[in-house]
Amino acid sequence: MTNLDLDRVAFEAAVAERYRLSGRRFGARAGAGVAKRAGTIAAALIFPASLFLVWQVASLFDLVPAQILPDPRLVLATFREFYDTGDLAFHARISLLRVLQGFALGAGAGLLLGIAMGLSRRVREFVEPLFLALAQVPALGWIPLVMLLVGIDEALKVIIIAKAALIPVTINTSRGILNVPRSYREVGEVLTFGRWQTLTRILAPASVPTVFTGIRYGLTNAWLALVAVELLASSEGLGYLMVWGRQLFQLDLVIMAMIVVGVIGFLLDWSLGLVERRLQRWEAAGS
Amino acid sequence: MKSILRLSVAAATSLLVGVATLTPAFAEDITVRFGFAQVGVGNRQFGSGNSAAIAHAQGLVEAEFKDDPGVKIDWSFFKGAGPAVNEALANDQIDFALHGDLPAIVGRSNGLKTKIVAANGLRANIYLAVLPNSGIERIEDLKGRKIAQFRGTNLQLATDKVLAAHGLTERDVRFISMDFATATAALASGDIDGAFGQADYLGLEKQGVARVIYSTKGDDPAFTRHSHVHVTEKFEQAHPEVVARVVKVLVKAAAWASDESNRDAVFETWAKSGIPAETFRADYEGQALKLRNTPLIDDFLISAYRDQAERAKQYRLLRGEVSIDDWFEPKYVDRAIKELGLEGYWKRYDAHGVAEVAGR
Repeated sequence: MTNLDLDRVAFEAAVAERYRLSGRRFGARAGAGVAKRAGTIAAALIFPASLFLVWQVASLFDLVPAQILPDPRLVLATFREFYDTGDLAFHARISLLRVLQGFALGAGAGLLLGIAMGLSRRVREFVEPLFLALAQVPALGWIPLVMLLVGIDEALKVIIIAKAALIPVTINTSRGILNVPRSYREVGEVLTFGRWQTLTRILAPASVPTVFTGIRYGLTNAWLALVAVELLASSEGLGYLMVWGRQLFQLDLVIMAMIVVGVIGFLLDWSLGLVERRLQRWEAAGS
Repeated sequence: MKSILRLSVAAATSLLVGVATLTPAFAEDITVRFGFAQVGVGNRQFGSGNSAAIAHAQGLVEAEFKDDPGVKIDWSFFKGAGPAVNEALANDQIDFALHGDLPAIVGRSNGLKTKIVAANGLRANIYLAVLPNSGIERIEDLKGRKIAQFRGTNLQLATDKVLAAHGLTERDVRFISMDFATATAALASGDIDGAFGQADYLGLEKQGVARVIYSTKGDDPAFTRHSHVHVTEKFEQAHPEVVARVVKVLVKAAAWASDESNRDAVFETWAKSGIPAETFRADYEGQALKLRNTPLIDDFLISAYRDQAERAKQYRLLRGEVSIDDWFEPKYVDRAIKELGLEGYWKRYDAHGVAEVAGR
């Protein structure tokens, strides 16, 4: 073993230790007791619960016309009805599928573009200004143009969703790479890492948190864009359920769809959070 | 200094109050707010196809209240049609609504408190326009096709009835909710296979954009849709005299719009909405104006609404029970007809659409 090899081992061990520490800290918290976690969950529930209480009181005392803010119990009954008939599963499945397709496309392209922009100064100089300008145009602004190009079918929805996911993923990926401390790269240089090794051993692990913020943000964006396109031109999906509810003055249906959209969005983000943690732990365990 | 200011404010206020009490009829200022569940082509602020649109276009309501400076008249035209009118009623933004059967029933089932005071455009047709190369020749061919529909308007109920008569339900067709303007644009760009809409699709046919392959014209009259004027219970209780005078104006407009010698003038007035007069000419061809412009609240109207409510429930367009019974308040129309000497001018029809013996 040469000296350099020893150094590399030491460096990798140090990186591993860093991630293991954060992993252990997380593990320790989990182990500290179910009671503490229950407390966290309870704390997280205080705000929604009080919001719900305000809603129930407002509708009980007719503070807001029932046509505009229906009784929560009616919303629950609507939920049950749509759940029992399978309508809810049908519309939610279609919406989820659209999001996953669009998100896979957008996040995939965003990662590639972000890596290119993060690694190459030339790509960054050519692409970034235009990219940032285009990023300012909201999804709704793109719809008329895309509609003329591809019609109002699935392609429209997938493209709008992909665009929504693409932007934060690209920006965060390039930033994540650019923000890797200079000293990390220098260590790589000392260890005579090649391009590929620099990317996989230094840049990738060090930028994971930022990149993942972009991915999670991209998923949220994709989900928001979905509702926007479904509101406009669709004959199925959760956004369509909202249109239906509004047109037939069934605000209970609108609110139900809103809650379902919110809960699914939350679950998606939460599971990405799990993936992120798993990914970081794997980086630690793998070295 | 302060006290002088206060004094002068007090003086000005009492002066104003004094002037206000001097004006006749209406001591308090009121604004009578009308909301149309329609809007003209390109957002023109005109309605069509009913006598309220005539009253508005000819300024008849303003003329009726011209000696009452305290009464202001305000008209709104909702691009979002019937569903938007429901929202306006719920938000207390309008007093009178010129509304179609389904959205009004939906509003009522949600607890909006109104009284129907006059019929306003009955037996309106729906038209199905399809792309010339869509291969759709009959209603049955709509299965699985992408069709535009203005959800929640009285066209939806009429559409559902037509579908049911041909063995289809809404689920068999891929319906996309679009307002009329959007549907026309989508037809022109070929994004949809067809659209259910109003008589103005006849114009699209003339331009070669689409073919009208079906209309309720000449089909079962039960497939047609109706509209009416209703007023919030709150307004009716507070200003019954205003309601009476408004309804009287509407009856006058209905009489003018029912007079066959005015046929062309009626269509020209409606054409202010941007829909050409020929469209109305074709739509009303072979039909007496009286039949569609009657303001009467008769057994035909009431049972038609009862039937619409039942169908709407069947098609799951509304939930919960909705009672039609004490929704109608015919006394204003009846009084106006008496005052205007128009007894017997319009026939009363029974629940089956058969004319009742004259003299009733």
